[in-house]
Amino acid sequence: MTDTQKPVKDMTTDYDIFDPEFVKNPYPGYSEIRESQCPIAHTDRHKGSWLPTRYDDVVAIAQEYETFTSRQILVMPPAEGRVEGPYAAVGAPPITSDPPDHHWHRRLILPVFAPQAVAKYETSTRNLCNALIDEFIDKGTADAAADYAQHIPVRVIATMLGVPLEMEPEFTDWVRGVLENMTDDEWRMRSFRSIVEFFLGQVEDRKKNPRENDLITDLMNAEVEGKKVPIEYVLGVCQLMLVAGIDTTWSAIGSCMWHMAQHPEHRKQLRENPDLWPTAIEELLRVYAPVTMARIVDHDIEFQGCPMKAGDRVLMAFPAANRDPRQFENPDEVILDRENNRHVAFGSGIHRCAGSNLARLELRVALQTWLARIPEFELVDPSSVTWAGGQVHGPRKCMVKF
Amino acid sequence: MCAIAAPEVFGSDEIGNAKILISGDVPEALHAKVRRAESNCPERAITITE
Repeated sequence: MTDTQKPVKDMTTDYDIFDPEFVKNPYPGYSEIRESQCPIAHTDRHKGSWLPTRYDDVVAIAQEYETFTSRQILVMPPAEGRVEGPYAAVGAPPITSDPPDHHWHRRLILPVFAPQAVAKYETSTRNLCNALIDEFIDKGTADAAADYAQHIPVRVIATMLGVPLEMEPEFTDWVRGVLENMTDDEWRMRSFRSIVEFFLGQVEDRKKNPRENDLITDLMNAEVEGKKVPIEYVLGVCQLMLVAGIDTTWSAIGSCMWHMAQHPEHRKQLRENPDLWPTAIEELLRVYAPVTMARIVDHDIEFQGCPMKAGDRVLMAFPAANRDPRQFENPDEVILDRENNRHVAFGSGIHRCAGSNLARLELRVALQTWLARIPEFELVDPSSVTWAGGQVHGPRKCMVKF
Repeated sequence: MCAIAAPEVFGSDEIGNAKILISGDVPEALHAKVRRAESNCPERAITITE
């Protein structure tokens, strides 16, 4: 029997992040743990992990990077046997880096994601959203996840990297292999190899045929203290761009589409008061934060009464933190003009999402473009919506009619 | 986040780190916006001195 086939007896000692009901709707489970005597749960399933659910605990763990390291950041350990071959050690810097290297690993990519740098993608993202809507607007029905959300971040990221847009299906497949099918070691390993081999090919090609103005070229030319950065760094950042830049934002867009399909009053509010958009985006990010990141405990420590051992995995459930009533009033309610919203959808501390400005832009443009052209729509059948969960939470099939 | 809440007061440098665009006291007309920036900063990096 696999870990996910045994019924969960007690959420605080036996939770299962891949349980189908939990994947679909993790919030009641998070709440049960958060309000129990044991708000940091533990499970032996899926090679074991801790699950803090209160805002303050999640933030403290994110801030304490020396105790809670980024040696591994996925909610499941890497596939067995993965550490083979010349580029097996390629990580996903800076997300998988610890200080001191973390500093330059992050510093080099930050300019690419500064607000003024991502603003230049607004028009192309809007054009892309419009082109996607053109495909289905006359049909009166569409899959808001698979026909719309899924196509947006992957094309934006491919454009930034300077890789062929036609490879979108492969990129999507590889990313899902890494993030959505963690219990399938073989698929994970194959996806990881495909990503590294693909980018290695892109690097080789640029050596023979130099290019300008794409991120891969910029990374290849980047220098730190007078020396070119190692190839492993270039490949690692490329891998991060795909793995962290696609599934995450597409999940957030999808969840927001699912929400808007069921809340005509929020569509109306945004239509009548466009000034709400900035706070509305933050509120939607709070409620539908897609990402959970893991940390590896550096040394034995008692954290909030929990005996954590060196090497233990801790899951920073940002979606759980974002619905902690100790931090947010009426946490399960979407309040588009919420006053106080210190949400951690993008994490906290030194590993705070480097691409948050791009993600915000994509989410806002995707919602605005849809709502402008399809102001009224609803779910075809709420029970037919399917979800991914674990590392990244969001809808994968979400049929709407209009 | 602060640059969204109070763009007259907060901006970002070339690597996207937040920076303060004005010097001295915050004009009264911007107090509400700056309070919002403070109460929405996920890193608790803003302190208002009165």
